[in-house]
Formats: sequence, C-alpha cells, structure tokens
Amino acid sequence: MKKYEIKLDRRNFLKSSTLLGISSVAPGVFFQELAHARDLDKPASSKIRWGMLIDTNQCTEDCDACVTACDEEHGIEDFGRPSTDTQWIRKLNLTDEFSGKSYNLPMMCQHCENPPCVDVCPTGASFIRADGIVLVNPHTCIGCRYCMMACPYKARSFVHENLENQVPHSPRGKGCVESCNLCVHKIDNGENNTACAEACQKDGHQAILFGNLNDPESEISKQLHKYGGKEIRSDLDLNTAVRYRGI
Amino acid sequence: MYKKLVIKTLLTFLLVSFSGASITHENIPHNIDTSLADKCVEPTEIMRAQHHIFINQQGHDTVVKGIRTTKYSLKNCINCHIKPLADGSYPNIKSKEHFCSGCHIEAAAQVECFDCHASKPFKKIVIKK
Amino acid sequence: MNLVRYKSIEFDKKILFHVIIILIMFAMSLFAFTTLEHEGHWLTGMNNQVVWGVPHVFAIFLIVAASGILNIASISSVFGISAYKPLSRLSALLAIGLLVGGLMILVMDLGRPDRLIVAMTTFNFKSIFAWNIFLYIGFIFVVVIYLWMMFEGRYNKHVSKVGMFAYAWRIILTTGTGSIFGFLVAKEAYDSALLAPLFIAMSLLFGTAIFIKTLYFLRIYFDVKTGEIIFKRLRKLLLYFILAVFYFTVLFHLTNLYATTHHDYEFFLLFSGEIYTYLFWIGQILLGTFLPLFLITSNKINSTWHSLLLASLLVIIGGFIQLYVIIISGQAFPLDMFPGYIESSTFSDGIVAEYTPSIYEFMLGLGGIAIASLIFILGILSLEFIPDSLEDEYLQN
Repeated sequence: MKKYEIKLDRRNFLKSSTLLGISSVAPGVFFQELAHARDLDKPASSKIRWGMLIDTNQCTEDCDACVTACDEEHGIEDFGRPSTDTQWIRKLNLTDEFSGKSYNLPMMCQHCENPPCVDVCPTGASFIRADGIVLVNPHTCIGCRYCMMACPYKARSFVHENLENQVPHSPRGKGCVESCNLCVHKIDNGENNTACAEACQKDGHQAILFGNLNDPESEISKQLHKYGGKEIRSDLDLNTAVRYRGI
Repeated sequence: MYKKLVIKTLLTFLLVSFSGASITHENIPHNIDTSLADKCVEPTEIMRAQHHIFINQQGHDTVVKGIRTTKYSLKNCINCHIKPLADGSYPNIKSKEHFCSGCHIEAAAQVECFDCHASKPFKKIVIKK
Repeated sequence: MNLVRYKSIEFDKKILFHVIIILIMFAMSLFAFTTLEHEGHWLTGMNNQVVWGVPHVFAIFLIVAASGILNIASISSVFGISAYKPLSRLSALLAIGLLVGGLMILVMDLGRPDRLIVAMTTFNFKSIFAWNIFLYIGFIFVVVIYLWMMFEGRYNKHVSKVGMFAYAWRIILTTGTGSIFGFLVAKEAYDSALLAPLFIAMSLLFGTAIFIKTLYFLRIYFDVKTGEIIFKRLRKLLLYFILAVFYFTVLFHLTNLYATTHHDYEFFLLFSGEIYTYLFWIGQILLGTFLPLFLITSNKINSTWHSLLLASLLVIIGGFIQLYVIIISGQAFPLDMFPGYIESSTFSDGIVAEYTPSIYEFMLGLGGIAIASLIFILGILSLEFIPDSLEDEYLQN
C-alpha cells in the first residue's frame, strides 16, 4: 500500500504518476472507496490530500461567482470598510508587464504542505489537518496576527468587528484570524466539493476543480498530469495544494 | 497598621470573589421544559454538571480531527434547546430567555461559545452586499 | 576611593505629581483596551494588510530597550568596568519595568486577550514567538535574581556569574525579537538574518539613551552628584551605539541594494515611499543619527548634561521612528506574488497598503510607558536603588 501514499510535490510528481499509471488497474477499488464519504465518527485521513486546480483561461474578469458563493456559504458580511473587511477568496487581475496580456484568477489560502502560518503560530492554533487542509483553530487563536505577517499570499483576514448571525456550520468571531477552510464542513459531510468550485461550475465556467491530489484516478490528478499546475511563489518551496494553469 | 489593612482588604476581596460559588446548578431556575428532560443525550444531572466538558471535547475533535458526530455537538444542543418565542423569533443570547443564558447570566459565568457560534437554529440568511 | 552608598526616596509632592500623570496614562490605555475589546480592532488604523501597528512599535521599542538598558549593569559585572557598578541596580530595575510595559502592550493588543492563559500553556516550539514568551518571562526572573544578588551583601560574590547569565540571556532575547521579523520569508522587507544584530545594536542604543535620560532627572530631582568620569563614559557609550546602529542600517540596505529582487522595496523606502521615505531620512537618519552624533562630538557643546540629554531624547525619537519604518513599511509594501505581472484586486494587491494610526493605538502604547514608569517609581520608593553620589572619587575608573 505504501507506494500509493507518495505525496505530490514537484520532484515526485512525474515519477509517481508514471508509476501509478502502470499499476492503477488493480488498486482502482481501493481509491473508489476513498472517494466515498467518510463516517462522521472517523477522523480525517492522511491518505487524502485535498487540493484545487484553477484554470485561469476559464476565469473571466467580470465574474465573481466564487467570491459571492464563499461569502454566502460562510456567512461573511461586509461592513463597508474595505481595509478591515474579511475576504477568504478574492479575484486577482494580473497584467503581464512584458506582453501586456491580462489574466484573472481567484486567490485564497493555498493550503501549503509546509505552511509558514503554522510555523509561526505561537499557540499552535494554525495547524494542518491530516487531509492537508490548513485551518485556524478558533478555540486557541489568541489573535496575535503573526500568521498574517507570515503568509506569502495574504490569504488571511482578522475579524475586526463583532459578528452576529453566523451560520452554524462556519463559526466565526471577533478577535480571531481566519481564512479559506476548503469548505471543511462540506468535506466532512461527504459532499467533497467547495462552494466556490460549485458556483464556478454553475456559472458555466470550469475554472475551479476540487479533488483528492493523492488519488491518481481523480479528475484533478488526471488534469494535473495532463496540463501541469503551477505553484504560486514556488521559490518558497511550500508545496501548495492549490495549483494554477494557464499562467 | 498598614499590614492589617492590606490583609483585611485581601480577605474581603477573596470572600466577595468566591461568593459566586454558593450559586449551584440546583438553585438556579431552569427555563427548561421538564417533560423533555430525559430526551437529552445524557441524564439531566450529568448534563448540568458536565455539558461544558462534552462540548469542549467535541469542539476539539471537530476542528482538529474532522469528527462530526452530532451527539455532543453544539449545533445539536442549539437545534433542540432553542425554541422560538411567541412572536416566532429566536431569543437573543444576551437575554435570559435564551436557554444557555438563563443559567449563565444567573451564575455570572461567561459563555464564550456564542462569540463565534450561532446561538439559534439555522435559517438561511440573505447576505446584504 | 570612597564607598558608594545607596538611598531610597521619600514620597513627596513631586512623586505624587508623576504618579498622577502615570495613572492618567494608564487609565487611557485601559479605556482603549476595553473599547477595542468590546468593539473590535476596526477602530484602530490596523487592517488586514498592516496587521501590526503603533502598539507593536511601542511594545517592541520597550522590549528592545529593556534588554539594552541592562547593558549598563553588564558592563560592570561582565566586563569588569566598575565605574558602572553604582548604576547596576537602576539599570536592572529599569529593565524589568520596560519589559513588563512592553509585554503589557502586546497583550492588550491581542484579538483575544482573554485567552492569555492559552498563550501561556500551549506552545508551538517551531514559532519564534513562542520562544520569545519564554525568553521574556525568563528575563524578568533572571533580572530579579540579579538584583537580589546585588542587594544582598552575602551574595555579592555571585553578581558576576548571574550577570554573565543575564548578559547571555538578553543577547538571545534581542536576537529572538529581531527574528520575529527576520524569519518572515514571505515579506521582501524582512527575511534577513541581519535584523537580529541590527536589533541588538538598537537595543543597546535605546537602552543607553533611556538610561541617560533617567539619570539626568535623578540628578535634578534627588540631588545625585555626578562627576566627569560617568558623564564621559555615558557619552562615549551613546556615541558607539549610534555608530553601531548606523553601521547595521547601512549594511542592511546595502545587502538589499545588491540583490535585484529587493530593489523594489529599497526604491520604495529610500525614494518613493512618501511618508516612509520622509520618516526614514528625516526621522531615523537626520534626527535619530546625525543630529545626536553632532551634539555628542561637536567640541563647543558637548560638555554639558543638557546636550547629552538632548542627544538621548533625539535617539529615543529616532529609534521609535526607525521601528515604525521597519514594522509598518515592511507590511505596507505590496507582496510580489507574481513577479513580472502587475497585480490588482479588492484586497490591496499590487498597491501600497494604507495605514493611519488611530488614537487608540497611541493610548495602548502610553499604557506600556506608564507601567514601566510606575514600576520604576515603586522601585526607587521602596528599595535603595539610587546611588548617593557618582562623583569621580566614588568611582573606580
């Protein structure tokens, strides 16, 4: 079984996918099982690593369906103060300085394998779950904001306001730091998709693909194998779970 | 002379701060429907004494491990215990009509759960943008 | 060679006046603290881009200065220059005060200060921040023991050993404080091991400046006579430390200028950064470095305590500005996530983030200074900290 648990990183990716490509007939059953919902009383499994592949060619400038969907799913309200308002996911517009070509893409927590936020957190409130999701444990976050200093993607927001009307599946509150949690409540309930990816598909774009990076049979692994996926700030060697193509 | 004064002040302070201990779960009026008392996940006596332990443990397991069993989940508590008022709205966490606050305000024990967690059953809200 | 005697002071109107001012400052910080606790941090200038603001400038200034001010004691007990010996007690007392003040600001600025107990019981040992919690609290213990050895005649023989330990401790402490920024790989303005020695030099400088300022007022208020020796030594010490900070500042920027990837930040700070550029050149370099250097070295005005006090005050202001520049400009400068692309978004990508400190942040900072001053005043009221005389015949040169 060991060889199927090879983690996705730049060095091993090509090697392992060829290897698995050869031997993928027999273990197909095993991976089928993984794709099913996990029992509610079972902890998240380290055999899985959730990730995303974002196709910037499919992402358009005037669409913000992913952002709206995220806000709605997690009950993120706007206080009309842009500098302190929470943004778990944001649309980024890029213009190539050399060619002038412009690109659009959603930016959020990249769910690194070696996350700087987890390294710097004094209380261990920032942590990486067994299935690769980087989370803030709001029960132990003291609101020091050192993780926000350390994040290379500015993925985190600090809750600057008193909140009311939180949604039950996404508790949020003043004084803690928070960020994209890959819709962990949906994953735990076996939906295995995120609000942003669903909204993107519903809107007719196919820009966000969510799936298990450790399963070579999953759509995301197949597409990664076929088109590749770029890591933002790959110079930091963080091995992100959110990858981009077309840029 | 100063020493005596300091000691007296300290003793008074200690007495005042521990006087809250005389309020127990038994002598606080519970705004609970007694006919449903045994429908809870554990017997009433155990829930009164240990609900925070169950909830804290469940909170840890859910956040850190991703375990989503409903038995001890706060969501489960709220869904069952928070009933709409006469006008159909849910009681505010700051009022004594709220199941949790009923005792916690009386005992002057702060609940920090609802700084982040929803204090009423889920109803889809429309986000004002 | 006469023996130095120490004295404590009596509570009088002058002290009462100071205590009242301190309590007003402290009340202001408590007001700011409860307001932020109740309303949230949106009332401050801090936001999701500039997450650490003026409170952190105050806090780091005080913490860094705490470590540096103990240097006065170290010079006597570690390096054996006994002219500083009569000042050791004051130096240790000030170190404790400043550190507690700085820590209090950090705690009051937390998003969830009610969870302080979590910070004290759960540690992530990969975090330099967690290590610093140990270093700061340990520092207070070490300095208290140091003071005990100094006060208790029977234990005087241990002073140099404990002093050596305290010396090592505070070098590590300041390294840890500098590394809070030095270990941030993602931010262009930080990510340099040079920040640690720069912070050590800054600690020595700020500590010495605050010590000189304190001694100046002790001279006036409590009639501590001073001679030439101590004056000249302190002046020389300040001079060396100004030069040391200047050296590391130049080195830091030269290293950045050498690496093309860091050119953008350097250009921003040195030329195009508006407020940060002005603060750097006028505040840090002119007011904080060149003017005090001139005051100390110029032959016509260098021989008075007044010019030394003025130089110290300028160093303190310049140092505060220097920390402001390091902490704020490094966050305001945009991250370069996509080299070669122009970025834009609703989240300040690709532009310099805005930051205007609010009154609440300054109030929190003043609270730290108030606590530091209060500890100092309580100290000199209750124990014999102040040397009777610092005239030349009392000092071994």
